[in-house]
Amino acid sequence: MARHTVPDLLPGTLDLLILRTLQTGSLHGWAISDRIQQISQDVLQVNQGSLYPALHRLEHHGWIEAEWAVSELGRRAKYYRLTVTGRRQLAIETSEWERMSMAIGRVLKLA
Amino acid sequence: MSLDDLKLRVQALISPRRVERELDEELTFHLERDTQRHIDNGLSAAEARARARVRFGSVALAADQCRDARGTGFVDGLARDILYAFRTFRRAPLAALTIVATVALGLGLVAVVFMVYNVLLLRVDAVQSPGELFAVAIGQRIGPDNEPTVVFARRDYEALRRETSVFTDTFAMQGYAGPVEGRLARSALVTGNFFQMLGVQAALGRALLPEDERSAAQPVIVLSGMGWRKLFRADRTVIGRSVMINAAPHEIVGVMPDDFRGLGITPPDYWAPLAQFRDDPARRVDEEISSVEIIGRLKPAMSREAATAALALWASRRSEFNTLPGRQTQVWLIPRQGTLSADDIATQLAFVPLFFAFGLILMIGCANVANLLLARGVSRQREIGIRLSLGASRRRIMRQLLTESLLLALAAAVGALVVSQLFLERAISAAMTTIPPEFVQFVSMLNLAAPAADWRVLTFLVAGAVVSTVFFGLAPALQATRLDLVRTMRGEVTRDARPRRARQTLIAVQVGASALLLICAAIFLRGAFAAATSDPGVRTSDTLRVSIETETRRAAILQDLRTHPLVAIVSASSRTTRGVVETSVPPARMPVDQLAVSSEYFTVFGLDFVSGRGFTPAERTAEAGVVVVSQSLARQLWPSGSGVGQVVRLDAPQSASAAASSLPARTLTVIGVVRDVGSASGTSSRSVYLPTGPESPGTWLFLRVRGDLAQARQALLERLTGLDPVFGVMTLTNGMQTALLQIAFGLAVVLAGLALVLTMSGLFSVLSYVVEQQAKEIGVRMALGAAKKDVVRLVLSQSLRPIGLGLVAGGGIAAALAIVLMATPIASEIPDIIRVFDPVAYATSLLIIVTSCAIAVSVPALRAARIDPIATLRRD
Repeated sequence: MARHTVPDLLPGTLDLLILRTLQTGSLHGWAISDRIQQISQDVLQVNQGSLYPALHRLEHHGWIEAEWAVSELGRRAKYYRLTVTGRRQLAIETSEWERMSMAIGRVLKLA
Repeated sequence: MSLDDLKLRVQALISPRRVERELDEELTFHLERDTQRHIDNGLSAAEARARARVRFGSVALAADQCRDARGTGFVDGLARDILYAFRTFRRAPLAALTIVATVALGLGLVAVVFMVYNVLLLRVDAVQSPGELFAVAIGQRIGPDNEPTVVFARRDYEALRRETSVFTDTFAMQGYAGPVEGRLARSALVTGNFFQMLGVQAALGRALLPEDERSAAQPVIVLSGMGWRKLFRADRTVIGRSVMINAAPHEIVGVMPDDFRGLGITPPDYWAPLAQFRDDPARRVDEEISSVEIIGRLKPAMSREAATAALALWASRRSEFNTLPGRQTQVWLIPRQGTLSADDIATQLAFVPLFFAFGLILMIGCANVANLLLARGVSRQREIGIRLSLGASRRRIMRQLLTESLLLALAAAVGALVVSQLFLERAISAAMTTIPPEFVQFVSMLNLAAPAADWRVLTFLVAGAVVSTVFFGLAPALQATRLDLVRTMRGEVTRDARPRRARQTLIAVQVGASALLLICAAIFLRGAFAAATSDPGVRTSDTLRVSIETETRRAAILQDLRTHPLVAIVSASSRTTRGVVETSVPPARMPVDQLAVSSEYFTVFGLDFVSGRGFTPAERTAEAGVVVVSQSLARQLWPSGSGVGQVVRLDAPQSASAAASSLPARTLTVIGVVRDVGSASGTSSRSVYLPTGPESPGTWLFLRVRGDLAQARQALLERLTGLDPVFGVMTLTNGMQTALLQIAFGLAVVLAGLALVLTMSGLFSVLSYVVEQQAKEIGVRMALGAAKKDVVRLVLSQSLRPIGLGLVAGGGIAAALAIVLMATPIASEIPDIIRVFDPVAYATSLLIIVTSCAIAVSVPALRAARIDPIATLRRD
């Protein structure tokens, strides 16, 4: 299956990617996965089966909120938007990620 | 949890469909949008749809995970689990019914114990602020024991009310047995402020008022709900009716509500003003003898400790309470709320073995159910395997299995309510037929009734259902979901999924529990036999005890008894009280039981004199200055001499009996030493006997009668109730003890029988099932030349170990419990005739179990031996 030729997302990074994608405005689920794929130049493909559970989980945490609006297809779609606590969470997770990737980078370079 | 989230959860609860629809719409939109993208890239519509579906994976799984992610899945899943469970029950109604019945039986029995516990210790009476109500008790420190000894008269109540200020109000109460229209009834005589102070209103008519206490007032009574039904068949027209009590007309002015018990465990039949009975000439209530209980409502700002201290100060100044100079006066405030005092640890502890014994039945039942579920788990492997491979998580399936179990357990809880009510009613009526007839009238005055279930019982049942679910549902659920998916899908029942060890443990537990209960039953039965045949240590075969309630008729009754042809000797004795004996040569102090007896007492009971003499008919008061002591007391006080002629001082508390009254510390000369009373009668052997006569009020009469004891009792009863309506004649054989042991035995036998039947049916079904499962294996063995004997051995070997383990464990636990029991203070309360290490009891019970297990096991084993190898092998 083609899905397996691209690397799986690191565990826990999907939340971060979703939050970051929503920073610029509200999007529906498909658009979020499309945006991640485009920006990462097809390197990162969101496993769509886990996208929606992740969205619902983030909503449950109160980091994003949803509302129904008419989509580009002309029918109702559920649009997600970052909340204030979501923005705070994004900042935390971003800095965490940067710390982590820097650390890994160092190890790779110097070890 | 955010507000929106809360809204969503509530929505999921109220309209699960809307939340579901939105989830569905969201996922569908995603697929459509993806399809659209593929179409835009130039694929055909069909191909685009297929591509989108492949990329998304299982929509159902994603939806399920979404539900889990936000917690609405729980509510939603629960509804689905319940529906699914009902489908399962419909498919196998017999299994469901068996489970419900088994658990209902076990839970019902435990609920019985809880109901009794509830009645005795939790069910507070329906009065205003019961927490503020305390009974006052006062005592002087005597010897090592420290207990309330002062008996209050009405004037003590008046004094406490007048002179202390710790209570907002106080009432006095006295129990009394006064027949209504010739039918024995129990009443409580109360001061006029009783009902007002407790804040209860009559259900019919009115309650008693302070005005009713005035002597001039027309005598009135108020019925309890119980008495109203018992004596008047709940007739609504009783108000205003006049009934005869003690040969005097009394007007019924009211009926109290059913839930008001007058601060007792069970209600009396009626309440009457205390003063009214004091002035009753037919019953000259002696201020010395008649004792009232004083109950006060503590002032809100007053702590129990402060009130106790204040009352102790008051009590130490009141000369009536301080008959022994130089002894500290102590006051107790005992909560009085219509339950036994929660301070009473002994009562609480008594429930531990009861809960344990009844709980064992529930446990055995649960083990049976667990076995059944384990077996069904194997047959449901395919179904569970399919659900697992479709992506359901193990947790999810476990939840579903546990929901099924819980539903069954809740249904069982409803059944348990019915079981417990039936059991209690049957037990009470069975107990009534077991106790000797002479006690029945007294026990029936207790107004025992199977208590109605209240919210505590219901809560207990629901909690019990949940606990049972864990007991019987958890292990099978764990076992059933531990599957090798691939092999299950291929239709192979995997070998290691056969939960052999779990099953064997369950059998061992069941056998052990049955053994424990059977041993208890056997010990009680042997005790009952021993009690029926034991030697009480005094002559009781032709002795009757007469209690006179109406003291004004004492002389007439005595006259009648002395001339009665069936009566040979009349003697008298006071009740036993505590005292302390002091000697100067050699100096010694010793706590003793003291009682006052008439000169003929020793003859009637066949108590022979070791040395010295008994009382002469002229020595009939304590002023005679003479005393008789028991042999062991004499031996302890004067190891060298006989004791006759020695001088002792006797310290006694304010006596409960007028016969031995008033001289606080007396100097007495020992005139005789009498042999000890046997231990079985419950009297300690350190006794002193003071002289009294049958004419002294408050004494019991002991008669030596001619001819058959029961017939003599009946004859005297019929002859003398005319003189004293509550005249009582009792035999002294240990009929009551035998009856109590018979009741204990009956209870233990019912429990042990149930345990055994459950265990046997469990063993039988498990082994039958195992044989069924192993038919192929057995067939192969037989085809390869195994003899029938070997097959039987194969099957038996699977049950021998757990049964053996169970027997050892059951016997061991019984012995261990006995050792623990004997090490606690309770050991002294156990009558000597109960031998907790009785080897016969142990051996018999174990033998019964081995036999029953052999029967339960042999049927499936023989069936295995009859397996036709060809037929079995051809079956697959």
